[in-house]
Amino acid sequence: MSPLGLLVVGAPRAAAADVESVLALLPPHLAVPVVLALHRGPLDALAAPLGRRCALPVVEPDDKDLLVPGAVYLAPAGYHLLVDRGSVALSVEPPEHGQRPGLDALFESAADSHGPRAAGLLFAGHEDGVAGLHALQARGGRVAVVGPHPAGGEGEDGEMEQLTLGSVGGWLARLAYVPRSKVLP
Amino acid sequence: MTGPGARGAELESLEVDLLLEGVARQWGFDLRSRSRPQLLRRLRRHLREERLDSFSALQARVLHDAEALDALLRTLSCTAPALFSEAAFFRDFRARVVPVLRTWPSVRVWHAGCGTGEDTYALAILLQEEGLWGRCRLYASDASEGLLADARTGVLPLPTQEDAQRYLEAGGKAALSDYYTRDGNWALLQPKLRDSIFFTQHNLATDGSFNEFHVIVCRDTLLTFNRALHDHVHGRLFESLARFGFLCLGRKESLTRTPHAGAYEVLEGCGRIFRRVA
Repeated sequence: MSPLGLLVVGAPRAAAADVESVLALLPPHLAVPVVLALHRGPLDALAAPLGRRCALPVVEPDDKDLLVPGAVYLAPAGYHLLVDRGSVALSVEPPEHGQRPGLDALFESAADSHGPRAAGLLFAGHEDGVAGLHALQARGGRVAVVGPHPAGGEGEDGEMEQLTLGSVGGWLARLAYVPRSKVLP
Repeated sequence: MTGPGARGAELESLEVDLLLEGVARQWGFDLRSRSRPQLLRRLRRHLREERLDSFSALQARVLHDAEALDALLRTLSCTAPALFSEAAFFRDFRARVVPVLRTWPSVRVWHAGCGTGEDTYALAILLQEEGLWGRCRLYASDASEGLLADARTGVLPLPTQEDAQRYLEAGGKAALSDYYTRDGNWALLQPKLRDSIFFTQHNLATDGSFNEFHVIVCRDTLLTFNRALHDHVHGRLFESLARFGFLCLGRKESLTRTPHAGAYEVLEGCGRIFRRVA
């Protein structure tokens, strides 16, 4: 396993409260940046409510801002949020699945730029994000779906890890454990 | 983990590099300084739309066919979808920039990266309503001749009720429908607006400054560039902007870490409108 460099999280609008509780689980000295895309309307103020119980700062980045470990980057309204190695890249490509910010866009960019060094967490409930999460998995990223229903529906490969809200904490802890166990030559 | 996915990714990356190299050498369009994640996504979309299997196949087509190149450039561009698509910007421009422009005898405005012209026409409508049209010269540029040709026609998809609503939120003083005549599902903008805009082909990545301007509007255009080209273009914009002129960026674009950041002041409470003060 490569050391973790990035955690990407995607969630449909209905999962906003679940996202808030998962953000509260993140340790205050997280060694990687967290990049979060949440379906939203143009007027939702999200950064403040999502940051209420989160030990890390939750920011809506400007284009080309650097990704700093220990911060949560929330996709601003009206833009796709992509990652480009060490920085964010905003995009005004057309909405996908009727959404901008989109979840597929974020996962796809994480797959391209970080591959096996990225971990992806998708909150189930929307078709957006499923293809992107599979792309990230295909590039060696560690991925999991949170929610009652398998996000892929019938016919998707069953290898993707399924979590409940209660087991996300353990998954996050295992992610954090991997880089520490890595003995660098 | 290096599975077939990782190997496929390496091959795809190689094919993309070859495609971009080919386009640069054959057509002089250097796409290698584009924002990589967005470029990859747009290219993959283009591949699906063209029903091609690989970037090598796309390369074979694009190298031999100028129309295929134009189609590719079109897919890569992301232009504002409607008139006044961001009402807040036009409202702030009206409130904070227009009063200053009124005090100047003549005003040159440059809309850099106009795409198919939606924001250009919105700006023209605004300047006309504010009584500045007589002493304004509005230049609009884009790197793509295809998009410019669309913009020059002055024909847009018929504005919706929401577009009309956003026009009012932007401080519109009449009705949006006063500015066009309907033709089926299309809107033909007033010839008066269309004919006084100077549409010109200009590639921000390679072409130099072509005039000195009092206002430069360059919104969400530089999102498609990587950091190096983005900073380079900001140098060009700085050279093209008169002292005390205004630079209008997109809602989430910043001047931080650009070479001339210190020469600008941000207009407080107004999104991303900057004034050159040095």
